[in-house]
Amino acid sequence: MKGLLSLVVICSIGSMEGYIQRPLDSLHADLARRDVIDTALVDLRNDYLRQRLLANPTDTILLAFANETLEIAGAIRYARGTLLAYERLGLVYQYALGDPYRALEYYQQAMQLAESEDVLASYQAGIIGNIGNIYYEQEEYGKALNYFRRVLAFQNDMELAATANIGNIYGNLQQNDSAAYYLKRAISLARETSNWVFLANGLCSLSLVYVHLGETHAAQEAIEESLALIEQHQIGFVRTTAYINAAMVYLAGHDLVHAERFASDALKMDGALNNATVQKAAWATLADVYAAQHRYKDALEAYKRYDAFQDSLTSQNRRVEINRRQLQYDFEKQKALAQAEIRRQTTIRNASLLGGGVLLVIGILGFILYKRRRDIVVQKQDAEFKALVADTELKALRAQLNPHFIFNSLNSISDYIAKSDIESAQEYLTQFAQLMRQTLENSDRKEISLAADLLFMELYLKVEAKRLSDKFSYRIDVDEAIDIDNTLVPPMLLQPLIENSIWHGMARKEGKGHIHIAFRKAGETLICSVDDDGVGRRTEDVAKASKRSFGLRLTEARLAILNKQKNVQGRLDIIDKTEGGGVFTEVRLPLQLAF
Amino acid sequence: MMDAVIIDDEEHCVASLRRLLLPYQDSVRLVGTFATVDEAVMGIGTRQPDIVFMDVQLGESGTAFDVLNALGAVAFNLIFTTAYDQYAVQAFRFAALDYLLKPIAVGDFANAMNRVFQRNEQQQLSVRVAALLDNLSGADKPKKMGLPTADGYEFVDVSEVVHCRSDVNYTHIFTVSGQKYTVSKTLKHFEELLGGYHFFRIHHSHLINLDYVVKYVRGKGGAVVLANGVTLEVSSRRKDEFLARLKMK
Repeated sequence: MKGLLSLVVICSIGSMEGYIQRPLDSLHADLARRDVIDTALVDLRNDYLRQRLLANPTDTILLAFANETLEIAGAIRYARGTLLAYERLGLVYQYALGDPYRALEYYQQAMQLAESEDVLASYQAGIIGNIGNIYYEQEEYGKALNYFRRVLAFQNDMELAATANIGNIYGNLQQNDSAAYYLKRAISLARETSNWVFLANGLCSLSLVYVHLGETHAAQEAIEESLALIEQHQIGFVRTTAYINAAMVYLAGHDLVHAERFASDALKMDGALNNATVQKAAWATLADVYAAQHRYKDALEAYKRYDAFQDSLTSQNRRVEINRRQLQYDFEKQKALAQAEIRRQTTIRNASLLGGGVLLVIGILGFILYKRRRDIVVQKQDAEFKALVADTELKALRAQLNPHFIFNSLNSISDYIAKSDIESAQEYLTQFAQLMRQTLENSDRKEISLAADLLFMELYLKVEAKRLSDKFSYRIDVDEAIDIDNTLVPPMLLQPLIENSIWHGMARKEGKGHIHIAFRKAGETLICSVDDDGVGRRTEDVAKASKRSFGLRLTEARLAILNKQKNVQGRLDIIDKTEGGGVFTEVRLPLQLAF
Repeated sequence: MMDAVIIDDEEHCVASLRRLLLPYQDSVRLVGTFATVDEAVMGIGTRQPDIVFMDVQLGESGTAFDVLNALGAVAFNLIFTTAYDQYAVQAFRFAALDYLLKPIAVGDFANAMNRVFQRNEQQQLSVRVAALLDNLSGADKPKKMGLPTADGYEFVDVSEVVHCRSDVNYTHIFTVSGQKYTVSKTLKHFEELLGGYHFFRIHHSHLINLDYVVKYVRGKGGAVVLANGVTLEVSSRRKDEFLARLKMK
């Protein structure tokens, strides 16, 4: 046995029109006349929609109409209209489209509006009632009961619907006495207010409760009054439920013909095919009817259909679950998006940090490189400056040769004149002039070819030998391995050494002496030596370093600067020979080639 | 018999030359000595000497070049005498003119006299003197260099010389116009002569004009490509100095 305790739709109705129903036709006519978009239009549209929904709850085209109303209300910022439009949309989703999840969303939007403004507070009861309806439909009776009781607390015109629904819930919970009590109260309220829809609905539900209570006669009376009201006022909204309940009532009263007819008619109703609850109830009743008629094959068929809808209904419940999951999914998606955004931000931040770090490192490296480069430049400039200083010093030292040599030579010329040897004096003078010229030219140069230096040396020896009346002989040997044109030497480096040999070794010597000058090559070193067999240095001269000859100190100073300047190891060695006296001096220079 | 004049503003220098000429009295006759520019111009005009010994500095009256400018044509053997004047000496060498340094060595004097007797020292003398005066007239002007060749003297603008190549005691000189001169002087002579004019010795055998370097090819010493397409090796020991000079240019 399966009957329907159809819930009574609670919907807030704008203005104080109450439940006075205006015929759809007149509403439609009013709508058609309206060409001004204002609050009245919105009210009219909301009323029209409600009426259409009550007349035909399965009309899906109403969705577009409801959305349009919402748009209009939003456009003219009409809060009450918007609220009602949301509510109507909820109704459309709940009843016409069978989507309680979306319906719940719209009711919640409507509820938010209702709570936000005091003037709209009165609409809260209706919306709460609608939410209760959804729970009722989902057979969550505990929750539904709570919502309907909240509606009753409002003390308003929703009392009737809420009372009826509470009765229905008790009926579904098989608490038939309580169900009968609330339904009877609702019916009497409906009678007082001449609310035929609710009256028909209440009677319809009550008939089923009576069936459950075994009061078949009362049940039949109630359903008949309900059916009469439905026919009289064209209440399509309750018709299907009433037919199914009628089938149940007649089945209980064993009027199988009527029972079958009402059950079949219920299935033929518009939208019945879309309503699982209706089909389930109809097929269950038909199965019982066929069984009572002993039409077992049809009964089985009907039962199978019923069973299928049992599944379908479960799946409908599942849809709610799915919707909940959808909701959760949406939330997760939002969360994932948010996390992705957070990750993106983190990545950007990390990338910025990394980029900044890299830039910083590049900057530091750049600075280091720049500094190093600058240091190199500074060092180079420093080195160049030092070289310049050294060059100047060397030039000064080379220039010092001149006066030293000049006055010695002038002494010689003086000697000739004293001896009245004019020709010799003249020859000597021209050679001295030549030497002076070369000295001047050489002083200006850092290095000259060995060939040029040899030329100078030879001239110098020639001049000095002549001056000392051939008191000494000399020989210059150059290693064949040395290319004198391509070998560079500091100009006149040996001159002071030769001078020492002549002045200290030869001048004081008894008899003829000999000076041997040699240039050798040992690897990358040029060895220049001046070897004499003169009297040698006096012991006291050697002991007193400060009395070292001017020439020697000059040569040592030049070597020291050259060593520092070219980072080489030039050296001067003086060896006092014991056998036969004499001094052997040797200068070692790194071999330097011009090309 | 050749007539000689001495142009010098210092008496002892005149005496010195007079003494040096004594051994040549059979062939050379001293016909006059002059101490100023005016005297010299006048004297040379009237005496028409074969040999002129000419000091560069003629006191406050001017220089030997003033005398030469005033004379115009030069039809005698010209031997400059100077004590120490690097600038003048350089000019003489450019113009391939003979000069003696004071105090004059007997040997140098003998050599100069031999050149007068053996060779016709007058050959192209006017051209050489003109080159000398031209070279001395302005610092910015391209210098003309006199090159003694088998049949006289050739004059080339120093700025036209691309490079010089050593060939034992000869030097080949290549100009931008493709001309080649072979002179019996060492590369060292030209290195000393041209060192002050953007020339650089890149190699034992090569003296190049830095103005004609079009490319430097890196290497141990590397190589230079000159404007006339010639590629010459740079001695590794000359590389650093060469690059420094090239940068300085």
